[in-house]
Order: sequence, then structure tokens, then C-alpha cells
Amino acid sequence: MLRALDLANLPDADVVALALEGREPAHRELISRYERPVFSLVFRMVRDRELAEDLTQDTFVKVLSHLDRYRTDFKFSSWLFKIANNVAIDHLRRRQLDTVSIDGSPHAASTDEAESSRFDVGDGAENALEEIEAKELGTAIERAIGSLRPEYRSCILLRHVEGRSYEEIATTLDLPLGTVKTYIHRARHELRRALEHTRE
Amino acid sequence: MNHRHLLPNEIDLLVDGEAGFGVAPLRAHLDECDECRMRYEDERIVVDALESMPHFAADSRLADRVMAQVPVFVPVHVAARDSVARWLPQPGPARIAAGVAFASVASVFTVALVWIATQGDAAVFITGLLGDRLRGVIAAAARDAALTLLGEPALAAIQATGAVGASLLLAGFVLTAFGTIAGIRRLATAGRR
Repeated sequence: MLRALDLANLPDADVVALALEGREPAHRELISRYERPVFSLVFRMVRDRELAEDLTQDTFVKVLSHLDRYRTDFKFSSWLFKIANNVAIDHLRRRQLDTVSIDGSPHAASTDEAESSRFDVGDGAENALEEIEAKELGTAIERAIGSLRPEYRSCILLRHVEGRSYEEIATTLDLPLGTVKTYIHRARHELRRALEHTRE
Repeated sequence: MNHRHLLPNEIDLLVDGEAGFGVAPLRAHLDECDECRMRYEDERIVVDALESMPHFAADSRLADRVMAQVPVFVPVHVAARDSVARWLPQPGPARIAAGVAFASVASVFTVALVWIATQGDAAVFITGLLGDRLRGVIAAAARDAALTLLGEPALAAIQATGAVGASLLLAGFVLTAFGTIAGIRRLATAGRR
């Protein structure tokens, strides 16, 4: 039967074909190949580890449940990143619409619930997870990326962290090539300006 | 020296490491122009910082959590292929031995069929003999069945009238059967209404 070693040497298209034959190890191989890049992209988009874990999980569930819709003339990783990006952007849009007040969630049914969802400004009592997040996303460049518009963020991360070409990014994000080039140029410009403060 | 400073998209080309036609003069300009070189280096710092960013590790149970939600179906043709594969020996020599055994049996059968085909007269005689024997058995079975169903007198009457009587009896049976089926259907349709 299928061994992990054999799977690791196969190109994505072959692993996808095996996954379509109902081979669970092939599904796991696809997850293992892309969990770090997808999680990193989503984490840098939403800047919340727990949420990024959930959105990464949603991405893989969507991708692996609809593998039959995958077109082989498309790179598998591009298709995967497209779905991951859509999941993250959808979440950011929803969050923008559903902004939580500093005094607690607007959906809170009771005073206790509102209290528990309230932001503690300047509290300083960060839990261990928040500390890790602060360290992970705390470098100047990570903070600068966090301040970019989401569409600039996706483009710049795909270009310089994932090493995708402009054409691949255009296909992945369903954007015209010229728009991708503009977004990346503007993103670099904004990042340079943001980093100037740290260098001064 | 070319006094036109590089445009932003030209700096981008250099930062992206493009090597196409027209990039060499841009590079040459960088060597000569301090201002453009500084802009290029500023951009390069940003890109280097971006490219040195690591991937983050997701939770180690991510794969299990995903697989708990993904339905994995084995298509019928794959299941059938796997079933056949299970019967085949896995190690190479055993598989070769099984192949040789199968080929030998198939060869013996083929030779036997070819031999029978070449013995045309004998085959026709044996087939005819077997056909007669089979026809006799079927006729006797049919007569026994008719005798059980209709009784000796009715059978004698049919035999006396010959082929006409047998045809009338068959037509009556078919008409009765169709009438019964149509009646049942009509009753069932009326019942549903």
C-alpha cells in the first residue's frame, strides 16, 4: 500500500490523484506539505493564533472536501492559497462589519457575557499565548505588515514569503497582473516608510 | 552618465532580480548614480526583511482535526481494483510464479479448444447427440407439468385436437393473465386515489 516515503517524493498532482481515490495518507500528505505556509499566511493576515488555527483548518477542510473541483491546469498550491486567502479576507470583512465594542460584544445576551468579551485597555496582564503572539508578530517588519491593507498584505506575503511569481499571484488572487504589480509596489513603499522609523 | 533617474517600476525590476532585455543599462546606472543606488538599497532592505520571515508552525493536531471533518470515499472502481490487487502476491518472485501458473493453465485451455475446433465432425456428432438428449428431457418435463396442472382427460382432449387445441389453450391462458394484471392495476390505481 501507500507509504509516507513514497508519497513525499510525488508531485502535488499525483498526491491529489491518490487523494481522489480515497487514500487518507494522500490527504495527510497534502496537509503536511502546506500546513506551515497556509497557517503562516492566515496568521499574518488575521494576527490571532487561535483564529488562524481555525481558519487554516477551515481552509483544508474546504480544499480536501472539494478536491474533485480542482483543475489540474492550475497549480495545486495556487488553488490552496486562493482558498486560504479568501477564507482570511472573508473573516476580516466580517470582522469589520461586526466590530466588537471596547465595552464588550454587541451580541452579548447578559452583563456577564458583555463583561467577558470586553477589552482591557492597558491591562498588561497578557496570557502566555498572547505573549507568544506578541513575540512572533512583534518584529518591526511583522508589525509593518500588520498595518497594510489586507489585499496588499496577501500580495506581499505571496510574493516574498511564499516566493510566488507575479503571474501566479494574479491567478491565485483573481487580480489583473498590473494590479498585482501596483499592490506590491505600494506595499513595499509603505513597508519602507514604516521601517524608516525603526532605523532612525 | 545618464542623468535620468530610475523610475519606481525600474527599481522594482532590479529588486525582483529580473534579468530580461533592458535590465543591464539600469544596473549600470545604479553604479553611477548615488541617489538611485540609495533608493534601490532601501527597497532591498525591505525585501530582504520580508524574505527572511519564517513560516509559523500550526498546532500539531491540525491534520487530525481536518481529517475528522473530511469525508474520505473510496470510489467503486478503486475498491474493485484494490480487491483484485489483494489476491495478487506482493513479492516479485511469488507474483512471477503466479503469472507463470496462470499462463500455463490458460495455454492448456487454449490448446484444448483449438483441438476441439479442429475435430469438426466429432464436434457436430457430439453436439447433435447432446441436443437430442436435452430436447427429450425438456419435452418429458413439460408433459409431466401439463399432466399435473390439467389432468389426464384435458391433456387427452388437447392431444386429440392437435396444434389448434394447444394454440387455443395458450391464447386463453395469455388473455386471462393479461386481464388479471390489468384488473389488479386498475384496483391499485383506484385505491391510491
